[in-house]
Amino acid sequence: MAGVRVSALSKSYGALSVLRDIDLEVAEGEFTVLLGPSGCGKSTLLNAIAGLDDINDGTIMIGGEDVTAREPSKRGIAMVFQSYALYPTMTVRGNLSFGLKVKGRPRAEIEKRVAWAAELLQITPQLDRKPGQMSGGQRQRVAIGRALVQDARLFLFDEPLSNLDAKLRTEMRVEIKKLHKELGLTIVYVTHDQIEAMTLATRIAVMQGGRIEQYAAPDELYERPETLFVAGFVGAPAMNFLPGIWRAGAVEVDGIRIPAGALDLRAPVADGTSVVLGVRPEHIGLAEDGAPGEAIATTMQFMEPMGADTLGWFAMGGHRLSVRLAPQRARAVAGATTLALDLRLASLFDATTERRL
Amino acid sequence: MRFNLRFVSGRIAAQVALLPAMLIALTVFCGATGWTVWISLTNSRMLPNTNFIGLRQYGSLFANERWIVSVQNLALFGALFIVISLALGFLLAVLIDQRVRAEDLLRSMFLYPFSMSFIVTGLAWRWILDPTLGISKLAHDLGFEAIQFDWLVRQDRVIFTLLAAGVWHAAGLVMAIMLAGLRGIDQEIWKATRIEGIPAWRTYLFVVLPMLKGSFATATILMATSVVRLYDLSVAMTNGGPGIASEVPAKFVMDNLFERQNIGLATAAATSMLVTVVAVVAPLLYWQSRSAERAAR
Amino acid sequence: MRGQSGAFSPVRLGIYGFLLISAAFFLLPLYVMVVTSLKSMPEIREGNLLALPGAPSAAAWIKAWSTACTGLTCNGIQVGFWNSVTILVPSVAVSISVGAVTGYALSLWRPRGAALLFGILMSVAFVPYQVFLFPLVRMFSYVGLNSTLLGIIVIHTIFGLPTMTLIFRNYFASVPIELFKAARVDGAGFWRIFGSIMLPMAVPIIVVAMILQTTGIWNDFIFGLVFAGRENFPMTVQLNNIVNSTQGEREYNVDMAATMLTALVPLAVYFISGRWFVRGIAAGAVKG
Ligand SMILES: Nc1ncnc2c1ncn2[C@@H]1O[C@H](COP(=O)(O)OP(=O)(O)OP(=O)(O)O)[C@@H](O)[C@H]1O
Ligand SMILES: [Mg+2]
Repeated sequence: MAGVRVSALSKSYGALSVLRDIDLEVAEGEFTVLLGPSGCGKSTLLNAIAGLDDINDGTIMIGGEDVTAREPSKRGIAMVFQSYALYPTMTVRGNLSFGLKVKGRPRAEIEKRVAWAAELLQITPQLDRKPGQMSGGQRQRVAIGRALVQDARLFLFDEPLSNLDAKLRTEMRVEIKKLHKELGLTIVYVTHDQIEAMTLATRIAVMQGGRIEQYAAPDELYERPETLFVAGFVGAPAMNFLPGIWRAGAVEVDGIRIPAGALDLRAPVADGTSVVLGVRPEHIGLAEDGAPGEAIATTMQFMEPMGADTLGWFAMGGHRLSVRLAPQRARAVAGATTLALDLRLASLFDATTERRL
Repeated sequence: MRFNLRFVSGRIAAQVALLPAMLIALTVFCGATGWTVWISLTNSRMLPNTNFIGLRQYGSLFANERWIVSVQNLALFGALFIVISLALGFLLAVLIDQRVRAEDLLRSMFLYPFSMSFIVTGLAWRWILDPTLGISKLAHDLGFEAIQFDWLVRQDRVIFTLLAAGVWHAAGLVMAIMLAGLRGIDQEIWKATRIEGIPAWRTYLFVVLPMLKGSFATATILMATSVVRLYDLSVAMTNGGPGIASEVPAKFVMDNLFERQNIGLATAAATSMLVTVVAVVAPLLYWQSRSAERAAR
Repeated sequence: MRGQSGAFSPVRLGIYGFLLISAAFFLLPLYVMVVTSLKSMPEIREGNLLALPGAPSAAAWIKAWSTACTGLTCNGIQVGFWNSVTILVPSVAVSISVGAVTGYALSLWRPRGAALLFGILMSVAFVPYQVFLFPLVRMFSYVGLNSTLLGIIVIHTIFGLPTMTLIFRNYFASVPIELFKAARVDGAGFWRIFGSIMLPMAVPIIVVAMILQTTGIWNDFIFGLVFAGRENFPMTVQLNNIVNSTQGEREYNVDMAATMLTALVPLAVYFISGRWFVRGIAAGAVKG
């Protein structure tokens, strides 16, 4: 096992710049998730680490060795693909052993490793079947097994669960997490599913437009988003944004003053700065129930029951706030309502740079 | 620094594997074309020489009656062949698409001629149209004494006998292409037109036909290509006769290359064919790729 | 669904009527060839084209196969048949191999010059062969390939290249690219990926290519005439010579038997392959 260090990586297709000056470090044994919207360059970055695509600039180190100009098979990596990419004409056994055979490993060793991986992933009974005769979940296991037998230093996963139904996805998620723990693998994992990212990762790199916006542990990312984009992208239901002006220790939103003394700021903010106040729905409560925070007057608009919680929507001036409420409590709320914004856990962003203040 | 994986072993192997095709493309396809064009600008007869005479071969080519007849034949044959085959093929496809019985059998019967060579096609039709023992005799035996079906030996009609054989050979292909196109049309469109009460024939004419543009382009390009290459059929059926009444350009080139030893004239004719093909096919291809692009969106 | 199924309306009668008349038109030549080949010459002269043979006889077929004459030699069309087989087998094998490798390299490896090569190949699919013939004859005689078996095999490979490359390129381009990436991560190189993964997947398209090339090469006339040489004339050329060189009275029954014999191989391919044949034409037809 070994870590990865990507420095100053750039890649473009003709005039289209897909990765811009990427720096990323993955420590040994770490589970790094690349998270971002479709087309932000996640797969491209993963392919660059794997050596499957040319890059324009930068270096890639795996286990302390510079592998920038090496072929994929000489980088000590294994990869699991979104479509599984199982060789359709080979049996499961053939799929698992192909890479080892190409590398000229002795027969006995190949058999041993294949048996080990099959046992671990519970696909031993299917070893002599073709991928076409297997279910999605089984194919997924074979794809992971094919990566595991490689005895690689680094495992790359490109949206491996996105073709599975919701239930299987949860099962496989647990299984991957278990494999990571038990075998101590180093993993770089691409997904655009934030639940997957939050549950699996030791660190998440949120990507947008070919850049890494923030690279941090899941809690940190959720609680202290570095940019407006990260704040909006991570978390469901999404964070509430209130654009306003900073004046004398308070945020003025449409003329309404919200005293912001409780905010955890990095540095004093100059008066007159355009800012965006970000508050998560769970950090807003009903003032009459004694919720902590700044009181603001709003009007209830409608309720969205989600099962465990109900999401309440409230109008405040020209803006709309979503609030997580207990379902029983939500039924009794109507008309003019005073909400309490708990700013101790809120974020403040500069409206022009979109960075955290 | 710019890192490029282009020279890893796999790509070198790919480059090597492409060599035969590259060699063929450059020497045969490009080289031979260039050489042919060059010879057409010289006064070569039996052997190629380098006496440049400009476009004089083209002057004598277009003063050559045999060539003019060949070109006229090809234009007439080509236009009728393509139009009739498209119409018949489309009609057959639409009819077969009406959930008829024995669809597979009918399709095989329409398409099998396409598997046969033009030589076989030509000889079969030559026998059927034989002026003494063929259809003509059949008509006489049945009591239609007045019918004189001797088009195979009539200078002003012989081209239509080629046409019959050509349509027989190709209409099934058009049918197959059109049927594939019809089957590819979204079933919901049929449901929609039925709900709106649009009669089937109108749907075919105004909804389906425009949707089959791509199939029409494909069929037209295939047939246009075979029209320009038309040679074997004329050789087998009439050998250009009677007189020069069924000569075609490809045969003109072959005769001048290998029998009349006039390669300057032959290559001028070949070059003229090439220019015509480029002029006809390029816009069609452009149209086809445009409509494919639009369909992809 | 179009049309009303079930009930026989006048419209449906019309549809069946037209289809049956068309079927008669398409079947007529085949029928006439077969009955003529089974008749004797007096019967042909006296009876009519469509009449069934009074006393069917295979004599014309036997004569066509073993003793019909071209010029002074009278060995029947079997000579041409075996020549065609000898040309066909290696030509099909070589042209498909070259096309498959070229299509594979073009679609998955994007080597230098790929776009140029592909453009040239696609344009050639439309160009009349007459444009290439004379220079090719000169080149071939320069390297001693004229009128040789090897020469005609090379010719079929050259002119099969555009279509073969196209169908294999299209096929391999439709293979999920991740499969190719997985194989590269597994350490397989150009030939290993081709042999172990791509070729086994490409069996259907290889069948299509074989159908296309077998009928195409068997039916070829012009290349056989120009490049094969007298010794190797394929069946089509031999057939044309037999039919056109009969001295004295023309024997239509023998001519038709020889014609049928020549048509048998492509007809067999057609009827055995069924829908694959159409697939083959469609694959070869979708240019660009
Ligand atoms: N071969 C290519 N040629 C040109 N542009 C490409 C190519 N491959 C990818 N791109 C572009 O690069 C950008 C990043 O693509 P990438 O596949 O890395 O996105 P992604 O983050 O993995 O998205 P997804 O979640 O949809 O898989 C996209 O805008 C895409 O259009
Ligand atoms: Mg992706």
